[in-house]
Amino acid sequence: MKFAEFKAPKGVIKIELDLAGDKISKISISGDFFMYPEDSIEKLEQMLKGTKADRESLLETVGKFYDSTGTKTPMVEPEHWVEAILRAVGG
Amino acid sequence: MEWRLLPMRIDDAFTSMAIDEALLKLNAEGESPNTVRFWRWLPSTVSIGCFQSLEKEVDLSVAKKYGVDIVRRITGGGAVFHDHDGELTYSVVCRQSEVPADIIDSYKIICGGLVKGFENLGLKAEFRPVNDVQVNGKKISGSAQTRRWGSVLQHGTVLISPDVRRMFELLRVSPEKISDKFIASVFERVTTMERELGKKPSFEEVREAMSNGFENSLKVKLQEGALAGEELELANEIKPKYASEEWSRKR
Repeated sequence: MKFAEFKAPKGVIKIELDLAGDKISKISISGDFFMYPEDSIEKLEQMLKGTKADRESLLETVGKFYDSTGTKTPMVEPEHWVEAILRAVGG
Repeated sequence: MEWRLLPMRIDDAFTSMAIDEALLKLNAEGESPNTVRFWRWLPSTVSIGCFQSLEKEVDLSVAKKYGVDIVRRITGGGAVFHDHDGELTYSVVCRQSEVPADIIDSYKIICGGLVKGFENLGLKAEFRPVNDVQVNGKKISGSAQTRRWGSVLQHGTVLISPDVRRMFELLRVSPEKISDKFIASVFERVTTMERELGKKPSFEEVREAMSNGFENSLKVKLQEGALAGEELELANEIKPKYASEEWSRKR
């Protein structure tokens, strides 16, 4: 498992992931952020699985996650998740 | 508008978390009134946020050594050491329509009760978004909120005189970091009522000041009332979840 963390303006995002080729095959997100509703986190992990691990594809998936679920994450923006994931991919 | 104020309770972490969840659920179902309560932790406990990884945040062997319980909250946010002797904890449960739809605005209203409470005790406090209250630019209270089934639960700490060194032993901060210099830097960012007032106020004194503060910021009248049988029953049903390995090791 690759691991990295990234400090967003509110909360540290911790990512553990595995890659299969250039795609995410396994991902677990943890940290001290807030997310409403809370069970959206499973949806986010599920949507990221199978996503290509480059900035553009990840931003698209995370954007779709927010649009389709209406999830709110105060002071954590889509690019913060992407940054955390890219760090794990690189690390 | 009248809300209920429950008597002070001292419970283990699993009971307290279960009571909060039961109140939230029954409030959403229209069975429980909007409620404010104050309580303490016995034994002292580390709570972790609902998205945190247990192993990454808490030193389990240190917790065992000191007889400190560990519980995962249903609310987000970070890991907190709740000192039996040094923290008063509050919970507010209400219909979502009672607070602003915007999350930070709703924290501001509820934390506004604490701000007013600290002022009642002679401390100038301010809300610091998303979820903190500060005195003299230092954190003195942290809160966490969840919204489920149409109701809101917000619970949080009032730091009276917590053992900050013990806190950093329990939370996963690398041991070499816990130097006197590190502790000093924490005291730059976190403060306590004892430190700010020059004496430790009683739990009852703080409870009264904060109750009055909530009446003020929520614009409600708090009426003393007891937990209903139905609420305790549901809490007893929920409690085993919080004590379970499955829940505590969820992430």
